[in-house]
Amino acid sequence: MPEYAVSVKHVSKKFKLYHEKRDTIFEAATSFFQKKLHSEILQALDDISFDVKRGEIFGIVGPNGGGKSTLLRIISKIYAPDSGSVDVKGTIIPILALGLGFHPELTAITNIYQSSILLGFPKHEISKRVDDIIKFAELEKFADTKVKNFSNGMQMRLAFATSVLVDPDILIVDEVLAVGDIRFQKKCAETILSFKKRGKAVIFVSHGMDVIQEFADRAMFLNNGKAEKIGSPADAIAAYGDFCRARDKLDDSSNK
Amino acid sequence: MTTIREEMWKFKGILFNFAISDLKIRYRNSILGIFWSLIEPLLILGVLFVVFSTMFKFEIPNFPIYLLVGIVCYNFFKNGTTFALNSLTNRSALMTQIYFPRAIPPISSGITAALILILEIVVLAFFIVIFQFAPPITILLLPLVLGLLFVLVIGISLPLSVLNVKYKDTEFLWQVIVSAGFFLTPIFYQFDMMPAQVQNVLQFSPMVQIVTMAHHVVLYGTLPTINSILFAVGSISVITTVGYLIFRKYQAKVVEEMW
Repeated sequence: MPEYAVSVKHVSKKFKLYHEKRDTIFEAATSFFQKKLHSEILQALDDISFDVKRGEIFGIVGPNGGGKSTLLRIISKIYAPDSGSVDVKGTIIPILALGLGFHPELTAITNIYQSSILLGFPKHEISKRVDDIIKFAELEKFADTKVKNFSNGMQMRLAFATSVLVDPDILIVDEVLAVGDIRFQKKCAETILSFKKRGKAVIFVSHGMDVIQEFADRAMFLNNGKAEKIGSPADAIAAYGDFCRARDKLDDSSNK
Repeated sequence: MTTIREEMWKFKGILFNFAISDLKIRYRNSILGIFWSLIEPLLILGVLFVVFSTMFKFEIPNFPIYLLVGIVCYNFFKNGTTFALNSLTNRSALMTQIYFPRAIPPISSGITAALILILEIVVLAFFIVIFQFAPPITILLLPLVLGLLFVLVIGISLPLSVLNVKYKDTEFLWQVIVSAGFFLTPIFYQFDMMPAQVQNVLQFSPMVQIVTMAHHVVLYGTLPTINSILFAVGSISVITTVGYLIFRKYQAKVVEEMW
């Protein structure tokens, strides 16, 4: 058994950005043939390397557009990296946005099955746990309701409950738990800590520095696609704080 | 190549799950529900039957059955490929959040079309009884012909699904091809009514060969000609291979085009 649960090695990713701005009708008409002129390359991730051990909670902080979501998507195999590699030991569940890709026209129960089968969990295992999932999500009255009628908080609860109860080896959480109420947030925190105790790995993104400080064992500050700092949560938060102050200063001086 | 196939095997359970939920979603909020897939071919059959048996007076024996066999085959082709066109974009919420093989949505839309095909075959059987047509023993070969058609549908669905994410033109272009194809396939006429030069070109169309083969086994009680089989298997192999290569080229990055 290798020591790490997730190993990210020299991962880089570029995106092509297309600019849709057209000034003249002629430009709009010819833009079809000149698409290349209207695009630029965005280096979303630049040579990122880190390991997450089993039993470790790894936090990621950084400004919007810094590459956090792209990195989580690459670890979850949704995007393919341009170069570098990601090695994941065990089953992995990413909670990247509201829901686990829930289909609005399907019921809560059907969605639990669909998402967890897609994540690679056998159907009979899910059948055993489906009642617990509904109970954990506190959605007993809505088990057979279509997800389109759910509030954001309810969708999030269902996604989180599904993710933790199918019990993956690695859990990936993007800044999403903020939509739950305080009681549910507390429940999430307890669950994440119990994951850690049972030797599972958790990677999470948060803009709440106190959350990172409290839960993460190590953290990374990601900015402009670069890992500016990997170390203790305090170090990463400090690096992020320095960056924010420098940026504010720049804004102030340019405003004057 | 092996990795995609191995992955598909692992996820085979989800294929039917998707196919059935697609069917449910397709007919939600409709009173007649899945019966629409029966009514639609019946209406086309009615119109074609009236037009070509009274106005043009085509003298094809057992014309209603002849028509229905062609319509059932062509509908399967049309449904399978057009469901596949938006199969990936319809699931963009899922695809941007969970990794699973990209081939699952287009293949499961082929299965959705196959479920509808089964219903339409029930209608065909019903008409065979009504018109007191005694089908020949070769009708037992129809599943083989439809199996070949299924391969064609998947071979076209795979590239259409990925291309349509990046180039929305695919959908418009494909709809034109499907509409034109209906008239270029011997559904309401016989292939040898066409001028010889046209026949020389159209014989490469897999749908021409498949519909002809279906007519042979259901109506005439003859085996498909060697020529038909060679042209059908040949064109379908080429299309499916090229389709698979296109799919393989685009599939890794297809999610990045979705937002």
